[in-house]
Amino acid sequence: MLEIKNLFVEYPDKTSVVNDFSLTVKDGESVALVGANGAGKTSLIMALVGILPSKGEVIADEITLSKNTENDIRQKIGVVFQNPDDQLFMPTIYDDIAFGPRNMGLDEETVKRRVNDSLSRLNIAHLAEKTPLKMSGGEKRMAAIATVLAMRSPIMLMDEPTAYLDPRARRSLIRTVNSFPHTRLIATHDLLFAAETCDRTVLIKNGAVLADGKSENLLYDEKLMEDCGVEAIGVYDRGVKL
Amino acid sequence: MADMRAKMSELYSLEQLSSQKSSIHALHPLSKIIATLTYIICVVSLDGYSFSQLAPFVFYPVIVIALADIPYSMIWRRALVALPFCAFAGLSNVIFVRETAFYIGSLPVSFGAISFFTIIFRTLLCVSAVLILVAVTPFAQLTAQLRRMHVPQMLISVFEMTYRYIGTLVNEAYSMSTAYKLRAGDKKGVQMKDMGSFAGQLLLRSFDRAERVYAAMKCRGYAMRDALLKPLPLKKNDYIFTAAVCLSCVLFRAVDVQQMLTDVLGRMM
Repeated sequence: MLEIKNLFVEYPDKTSVVNDFSLTVKDGESVALVGANGAGKTSLIMALVGILPSKGEVIADEITLSKNTENDIRQKIGVVFQNPDDQLFMPTIYDDIAFGPRNMGLDEETVKRRVNDSLSRLNIAHLAEKTPLKMSGGEKRMAAIATVLAMRSPIMLMDEPTAYLDPRARRSLIRTVNSFPHTRLIATHDLLFAAETCDRTVLIKNGAVLADGKSENLLYDEKLMEDCGVEAIGVYDRGVKL
Repeated sequence: MADMRAKMSELYSLEQLSSQKSSIHALHPLSKIIATLTYIICVVSLDGYSFSQLAPFVFYPVIVIALADIPYSMIWRRALVALPFCAFAGLSNVIFVRETAFYIGSLPVSFGAISFFTIIFRTLLCVSAVLILVAVTPFAQLTAQLRRMHVPQMLISVFEMTYRYIGTLVNEAYSMSTAYKLRAGDKKGVQMKDMGSFAGQLLLRSFDRAERVYAAMKCRGYAMRDALLKPLPLKKNDYIFTAAVCLSCVLFRAVDVQQMLTDVLGRMM
């Protein structure tokens, strides 16, 4: 379970990016965090794992975020970054996926098992020895997700997971994400993706919750979505199965 | 710039070798670091004209590369990158130290030339030793061992970040130069007048990128590694390897083996 209570995030120049944000995501629940560019989605995600300093309370699987528990909470919450290039920095995909488990102090046999398990779960075993420099956007995205899967964190945060993906890779990502048992918070402004992967949607505007409800209700509410700064799923898209 | 990306991929390919399995790969990182340091100290401490005394030091890279099953070309090709720098450093000796040391047939060989070749040979040996260390020791084990040896944390972090940062820097430079080229008409490369803003932007962008990469590293437990990485125990093979390399290096440093062999052969003849 992920609980966020009255969270505030400020940049060093005192610009407020997250304002009194509260949210509870139940175990196994998949929640879309929808908002326009600059609404505070990425800042919120970074604050939840202690990368950005914040005020308020973040509790992940009964661990409360503090300076002393940052490392523990990062084992509970895995983050898939918006740009997979930021997440892939090792010479090979194998090493990249092994980076987290190795940092957890696991023995090499367990690391290998976890890496292979993550690779096969995402059907990218053939990428193991490849360098990220020579991979497509879709491959990099899958590899970035594999790096988080190998951490075996029960909670997964995804920041704009469909960025840089072509329609086919996007479709494959939807299938993959739907197969995860994780508690998920997915920041996106790809509403169709949100509709296909999350039952619940939270709209964020100026760093605060604007609305919270069922995806099928919120994502089609043109007035609300316009207020949020994004375009509602149009009549044309209504055929998409929720 | 595309060539630079290929070079980056080549640089990382050396690190990929570190996951191979061989008797050298299996050694404790501490014994490999001590052996490499002793080797480098012995090679560097020889005087500038001891060209012949360097010859036995070739054994170390040759034997270790063979045992570790690393392609020789991978090490030598990379070691050659240092060649222009050391050649430039040794060039002044050729020009200024012209006193004749000996003759090859009727061709005089100056002390300057001996010093020049000694500098080149020495540099290639030392660079090879470091490259071999990287090729036979996983990067994480190497830095963890340096931490255990109480090398300042700041120095190791800079080392780690620089190593990872080179890739992001090259990627940023590649994207920027591509964008520049597409709008630069028939101009080749970045023009001098644009160089200032190009370099400045590159620096800012790569700082920003490095921040994000560092955040991704922290999200996957980079900060907790120190506390969790357990030191491996030293085994009999580690002691044997370290002792063999260190004693041989000290012997080759203290005794001119080649001169000794020449003397012995001379007496026998």
